[in-house]
This record gives sequence, C-alpha cells and structure tokens, in this order.
Amino acid sequence: MKKILLRFLFLSILFSPKLKAQDLDSLLNMSAFTAESDLQKQLNTKSTVASGKALTTRETPGILSVITSDEIQRMGARDIVDVLRTVPGFDIAQDVQFVTGVSFRGNWANEGKVLFLIDGQQINDLLYQGVPLLNNFPIDGIAKIEIIRGPGSAIYGGSAEYAVVNITTKQASDLNGVSAYGTLGVHSSGIGRQNGGVMIAQNGKNFSWDLGAFAGKSFVSDQSNYADPFIGYNPSDLKNSTTANPTHFNLGLRTKGLSFRGMYNGYRTTDPIEFMSNDNYSADLKYEAKINDKLAITPQLVYMNQVPWAWGTTADNSDSLRVRATRWMGNVVLNYNLSRKVNINGGVVYFQDEASDLLNQGYFGDEKYHLYNKAVFAQALIKHRLANVTFGARYETNNRAGDAFVPRLALTKKIENFHFKLLYSQAFRTPGIENQHLAINGKVVPEKSSVGEIEVGYQFTPEMLLSVNAFYIKTENVITYLNTAEGSFYNNYSLSGTSGLELVYSIRQKKWNANVNYSFNQANPNSTVDIYFVPQTKSQFAGLASNKLVIQANYLLTKKLSLNATLISIGKRYAYTGLDSNNNPEATELPSYTLVNTFLNYKDLVKGLTVGLGVYDLLDEKPVIPQAYNGGYAPIPGRSREFVIKLSYQLNFKN
Amino acid sequence: MKKIIIISFLVSCSSIIANAQTTNYKVYSLFILNIARFSSWPESESKEFKIAVLGKSKIYEELVKSAEGKSINEAKIIVTQVESANEAMDAHIIFVADGKSSALTELKQATEEKPIMIIAEREGLFKKGAAMSFVILDNSSLRFDLNSKELEKRKIKISKNLRDVANTTI
Repeated sequence: MKKILLRFLFLSILFSPKLKAQDLDSLLNMSAFTAESDLQKQLNTKSTVASGKALTTRETPGILSVITSDEIQRMGARDIVDVLRTVPGFDIAQDVQFVTGVSFRGNWANEGKVLFLIDGQQINDLLYQGVPLLNNFPIDGIAKIEIIRGPGSAIYGGSAEYAVVNITTKQASDLNGVSAYGTLGVHSSGIGRQNGGVMIAQNGKNFSWDLGAFAGKSFVSDQSNYADPFIGYNPSDLKNSTTANPTHFNLGLRTKGLSFRGMYNGYRTTDPIEFMSNDNYSADLKYEAKINDKLAITPQLVYMNQVPWAWGTTADNSDSLRVRATRWMGNVVLNYNLSRKVNINGGVVYFQDEASDLLNQGYFGDEKYHLYNKAVFAQALIKHRLANVTFGARYETNNRAGDAFVPRLALTKKIENFHFKLLYSQAFRTPGIENQHLAINGKVVPEKSSVGEIEVGYQFTPEMLLSVNAFYIKTENVITYLNTAEGSFYNNYSLSGTSGLELVYSIRQKKWNANVNYSFNQANPNSTVDIYFVPQTKSQFAGLASNKLVIQANYLLTKKLSLNATLISIGKRYAYTGLDSNNNPEATELPSYTLVNTFLNYKDLVKGLTVGLGVYDLLDEKPVIPQAYNGGYAPIPGRSREFVIKLSYQLNFKN
Repeated sequence: MKKIIIISFLVSCSSIIANAQTTNYKVYSLFILNIARFSSWPESESKEFKIAVLGKSKIYEELVKSAEGKSINEAKIIVTQVESANEAMDAHIIFVADGKSSALTELKQATEEKPIMIIAEREGLFKKGAAMSFVILDNSSLRFDLNSKELEKRKIKISKNLRDVANTTI
C-alpha cells in the first residue's frame, strides 16, 4: 500500500502541469529509503538499550536481539526460559536446590553476569545478584524483550558483565485498557502449571497510570521416585514435592516528565527437602527534565527492600537463612545531543546496601552489613559517514571490593544492506552482599571481563537477513561460589571465559516467517576455575553445551490462525551426576537432545480474545537441568511433555 | 578461534558480493527534477536542459526514467553519466555521486562562476562548494542543505518556496 501511495505521489508530482509549493511539501514526507518490508520494519525499530541515542538494531553499539509480544504469543512461550532458549547464546542451568539460572555463551552467568530489568527495575537480587528463571515473569504481559548479547557494564554497572535482558511490560508501554491472561499446562501426570495475570492501564494527556498483577503455580519436574545421589534423601515424587511459584505486582504513575514505578517480585521454589523464596520490593521515582531540544537531565531515586534467597527445610517450614537487604540509590543521568551527529550520555550513581539477619542469629556479627558504591560513567556516540563511533567508560568504587574501571569502544555501520559491528568492552561484576560477606579470604575484588565482538550482516532481500558474530570473552578475578562440606564461600579465581560464534538467519514473508540461529562456544582451556571443568573435556564447561541450533517457523493459516513450530537442538553436555565408588563427584556425558514445540494461536476468536493450544517437548525428551559447576547437586530431572492452553483477553479504552 | 575468524570472513565476503539496494533513488531524482523546476538559470540559447551524473550511481537510471519526454521551461531534459568534470561543462546541474565526492574541489574549480548547479549526494558537502547536498534526517526523510552564496556566484536563482524547504542554509 505504501508503495502504491509513493508511486501515485511520484507520478502526480512529476506529471502535474503546473507545480505548486505544496508539491515541494509533499516531497518532504517521502522516505530516502525504499518501502520497508515486515522484516525491515522490525530491524529499523530504534532502541536506546545500548546507547544514549536511539539507533536501529543493525547500528546499535551492541549485538541485539529483540523479541516482541507478537512473537511471544505466536510461539506460546510458557515462561522466560522458553524465550531465552530461542536466543543465541542463552540457556539455563541449575544453581543449587532446584533453583535455575541463566547461562550465556557457554558460561555460568547466574550471579551478576546478566542483568535482568523489568520496566527499568533491577530484578537481580541484592545478596547474590541472581535471578531464578523457571516459570518466572509474567510472560504474556510482556510487550518487548531487548537483549544485549554482550557486556553492558559501561552503562548499566556491576551486574551486566556479560549481557542485559531488558523487559518492558505492555502495561508500561502501549496498553490503554484492560488485559487478562492465563496459562494451563497439563502433563500425563496431571496439571503442572497454572499461571494468570491481569493488567490495566490508562494513558492520558497529562496523567497515565498502570497496574498489573501476576501469579503462578508450577512444579519443577514431574519425575516420580527421585532422589539426588549427592544429598541422599528419600525418593520423592517431584510433582508433589517441588514448586516454582512466581508472584508479581507492578504499579506505574506518570505525569509529564515525572514517573514512579513500584514493583513486587516474589518467587518460591522447592526441591524435595528445602525451599527458597524471594520477597523483593522495589520503587523508583524519576524526573526527566528536558532543559531544551538538546539536553535532558534525569535524576532518579531508587529504593529496594528485599528478603532474597530465604531458605530452609520444607518439612517443618523452618528457616536456615533469612536476611533483609535494602538499597538506596540515587543517580543523575545526562543526555546531550551536541548536534544531529553527536550524542553524549553520562551520569553519576551512588548506592548503599544494607543487610540484616532477620533470624537474629548473628549472621553478620553484631552489626548490620553495609556496602557503599559510587560510580561515574560517560559515553559519546559520533555518527560519522564511515562509521558510528561509540566510546566511553565507567569508574566505580566500592567500600569493600575496591575500584573498577571499564572502557568501551564500538564501531558500527549500516551500508545499504550490509552492516558491521566491531565491539570491544571491558565489563565488571561488583560483588553483592553475600559474595563479599562469604569471601573465603575476607574479601573478593570485582570480577572483570574483556570482550571482543565482531558482527557482519547482510540483507539479501527485503525479507531476508543473515548475520554472523564471533566473540571472545576473557574473565579475570572470577567470583566463584564454592559449596563445600565446611559451608558456602566465595573466592576470586584468576581466569575463565569462552570464545565462539553465533549465526542468525531471518526470513519474513506475508504468510510465514522463519528464524534460524546457531550458537557455538568453546571454553578457555586455561581457565583456572576447576569446579567449572569436568574430567572428560577442556573445551566446554560443566552443565553447558557447546552447540545450539534453533529453528522457528510460523505460518499464518488464516488471518487469525497461526501455527508455530520451534525446534531447539542442544549438543552434548557433561555434568556431575552422582558419586563414584570412592564417594567423589562423578561427571558423565549428557547426550544431546531436541525440544520440539508447536503452538496454534487463534487471535480475536471474539474481539480481543486470543486462544492458544500447544505441545511443549513433543518428543518427550525430558531434558535434565544440570548444575553448571561441581557443586554437590545432581541434575534436575526434566519436565515431561506438556500440553498448554493459553487464553488472553484485551479490552481497549476509547481514546 | 582461527576457525571462527575464517568462517566470519567468508560470510562477510559472500555478503559483499550480493547485490541489493535500499536507498530510494527515485525520491532523489524527484528532488532533483523539482529543484530544477523551482530554479532559474541565466538565459541561454540551448534547447536542452542537461543534468550530468558524475560517477556511477543508480540515480542515473532513475533520472533517465523520470525525465523521459519531460522539459524544464520548454527545454528538453537530457541526462548523462560522466566520469570527469570536463565532460559536463555544458550541464545545468551536476549531481556528484557519493563515490565521486572527493572530486568536488576539482569540480568546483573547473566550473568556477559558471551557471552550473552542483548537487552532492553526500551529506555536508554544501559546506565544501556544492550548491546543495542531500541529508537524511533521523526519521529517514530526505532533505537538502543549501549554499546560497554558491548559487549567487553562479547567477542561479531559486524560488522562495524551494529555499523555504531547505534543511540548512548558508
């Protein structure tokens, strides 16, 4: 349609006998580029997640994946894990006690290495900086997930060493109405998942507000008669003895430049003998002061009040650890467009963390535990004819961990259908409260990574894009969790990291679209973190695969009915699965597996009502979730084939 | 690691061989024809209005298509592609393709004070002697920047309407 209009405009201007001034005005509305295909529309959507100035996916100074609500709905994702598994480089592994966390590019990345944000609020907890993933997050309430597949420390600080997952909910973006959604997951053993949520948002000229709630109930696995050989408890039916139950409340208020957001993120998970729970509140107040067309200054005040990773035994519901952690944070960010071609972004950050033992057992001695942190960061973006140049740095100092300084340099350019990115960043992880408190030698210093990335991409046709990137990650002073007979500790190890390759191919036609991606990584064989290795190989780390292939296809059967198929093939892994005859941990090979998921989605069955039906793990592979280090837990048995029913309804307010 | 670098290199090479464009030169050509229509040159006896494209560019094909059978003030529009300034000394407009941007200084000297309007594809060249140069705004719309002194020197006049739609004027 756009093409036809353009042609009409072109011809009418060209052949008009007498030219008028408005013909010139018409010219001003014409794009310098050919009409966008659906794929180009997606690629040309601008993002500020990796820069101070909005740039398209192919020009932004980071390797970016963007997943839209439409894609989430069509694939019928049950939780964030289903989405992350389709993104190059991402997978999940077990931490301890059936708690699952993220791995990235072949590295265990649960604690402080991947920053998760929902509507701008940090989800990583204050004690360990981890995020439990299984059945977590209101996936059907998400408008967009922007993932920087690379370091984000220069902008985002000490929890974004390897990647950033930036989630924007519908209520905080484009919803102007009421939306409700629910998911039911059924296994041969019974109901395995019941999630539901509701959102309401009203966007006014002077005042906007939004409110959302989400709760879920699920088991971690439905294997019967299971006992962890490391722990040695009595065999248990996991569908009854395990849970992964999230709760989420979200409130937003906006008037002109002033905005407030308050959030609660609760999560409770259990293995057969122990529970772990998060009760995390956060709130932020910020004001975007637009001084003039070029300059915006945004002061922000953040308060977090959490009881993260409280754990104890399920039999008597008694607590073993219950700590309250709070953070007061103030920051001021400046965004200045020096010219149309030059943007400067920078700011100062101060926060103080405090932890206190709610069980009054003297966990922190006689006093409360404090961390004080100051940071200053700045980066400039210069859009030059030859390339966009981004350079910047962050300096941070912490009262216990010491200093960290990380520079960043990026060259990106899109030349017609070709684009390239050359990226070099240093990034760091600031030790969280428990990382520092449990330091085996009294102190851990910030972990630091040097990451080099190169991406090239080409759009062969308006509907087709191929991009390939290679990366090299060298991590030093690796903050490592040690689960020993004497207790839990943290220590700095000198070296770890991986290198690898990611390939993404997308094709988007009117009736169908497909995405194929392949990820490969190999461990740095000189890594000194011995618990990351298994005896069988030096080329991949424990619990994590070197190869992943994802094929996703979606076909529009009718205007309203779509069929989605996802194939996720994970290469062989090695993990600690039991004890040998001498009672030492023994690693074994876990064979490769393929997850096949299908989902049928019917939009607007009646206006606003969407119904979806799907099968997850069609082949009933039940892939186990191993621990990503030698840490005294056997792999979590996988869930069996799951039949999923999804319902969502949206009623829009009249404008 | 070596393997990875080789594969990346091969993919990038195969990418460069592929041929596809997204710049809409039809819109560029439309701008040029309208700039011609809203401008006036010192009187001459020529019955042809000549537009020369300096360097290889897809705009040449678009201009040929768009100008076919058309005229400017009753002078037939003739579009040519040239490789050097010397071949375009009788043109009314010389469009400098992006790849020939480095030839602008030489072109300016060769056509000094002649009634030739130099329009450059590359952004910013209006400051370096082109009468106009194109600029793509953040919303992807096309505009031109204007060097009115350069036009005055060459005794080319443009209408107020055209002047008003310039992005920047010096």
